[in-house]
Amino acid sequence: MSILDMCQWLQDTNIGTSIRESIWVFPIIEGTHVLALSISVGLLLVSDLRLMGYIMKTRPASEVYEQIKPWMFTGFAIMIVTGIFLFWCQAVKAYNSIFFKTKIVLLVVAALNAILFERGIYRRVDKWDNALVPPMQARLAGWASLILWAAIITCGRTMAYTF
Amino acid sequence: MSSLTPFFQWCDNTVISQAIRDSKYAFPVIENLHLFGLTVLLGTLVVLALRQFGVLYSSQPISEVARALRPWNRWSVVIMLITGILLFLSEAMKCFSNQSFRVKMIFLFAALLFQFTIYNRIVRSEDKVAPAGGKIAAAIVLCLWFGVGLAGRAIGFLG
Repeated sequence: MSILDMCQWLQDTNIGTSIRESIWVFPIIEGTHVLALSISVGLLLVSDLRLMGYIMKTRPASEVYEQIKPWMFTGFAIMIVTGIFLFWCQAVKAYNSIFFKTKIVLLVVAALNAILFERGIYRRVDKWDNALVPPMQARLAGWASLILWAAIITCGRTMAYTF
Repeated sequence: MSSLTPFFQWCDNTVISQAIRDSKYAFPVIENLHLFGLTVLLGTLVVLALRQFGVLYSSQPISEVARALRPWNRWSVVIMLITGILLFLSEAMKCFSNQSFRVKMIFLFAALLFQFTIYNRIVRSEDKVAPAGGKIAAAIVLCLWFGVGLAGRAIGFLG
């Protein structure tokens, strides 16, 4: 069974078909996916801007980051759940879209960037917690995160188009 | 509503409208910028509202959080309006007959009015704890802007 066959099977399941053919369910899931950008990437923006040394500079970087984390993860959980359902009901279209494939790769890179930051420079945060402008490695992690997420949003939105 | 027909027709026929329609990439590019604006605008509002509700950044005064986020919030509004006007120009006649577009405009004017006359003034004066009025204002501003986003998304789905 090829990946394409699996995608076809997935979107032909009862759940996939019902979401796709429903008047309300698809727009509600899609609308939630778009509006939850505000609590996933929107909140991430604030902690990234602190890492880059642009806002809340007089507050410890760890405070800005740690406090926003649970809310941000809630946002990303909503994104993942709604995203899975969106994929479920149009898996073949997603499989054939270069933007979707790029989006998945970028999501993995963004996750790796976050893990590298946590395991790397953030372990020594007590040394730079109060720095107005965090060290280069932390600033780079912030920049990389914002650029990656902007690209992920772009890929997601552009999936709807065929050029 | 019919007295507005000539205005919508004029919007639909500007040089900019035609240029956007003629280009393959202009609409999606502008739409993506519109989505970036939405993320920043709603994101900054959510952070400030969570602060007012007392569940985030409790050690920072509310006015300080508001000041840190203000330029991002303001510029995102500017980007939303510019890109929104461009998107509208490129399909003004489609918007004219679109119920969701009308709902969105009502939410938009209410949101802009409420945020820039009342809400921004309220958060500027709040310190450690937001009074009930401040929390209610935060809830209202969130409802209005999320209403704009929801109705905006509905333009494409429901008509």
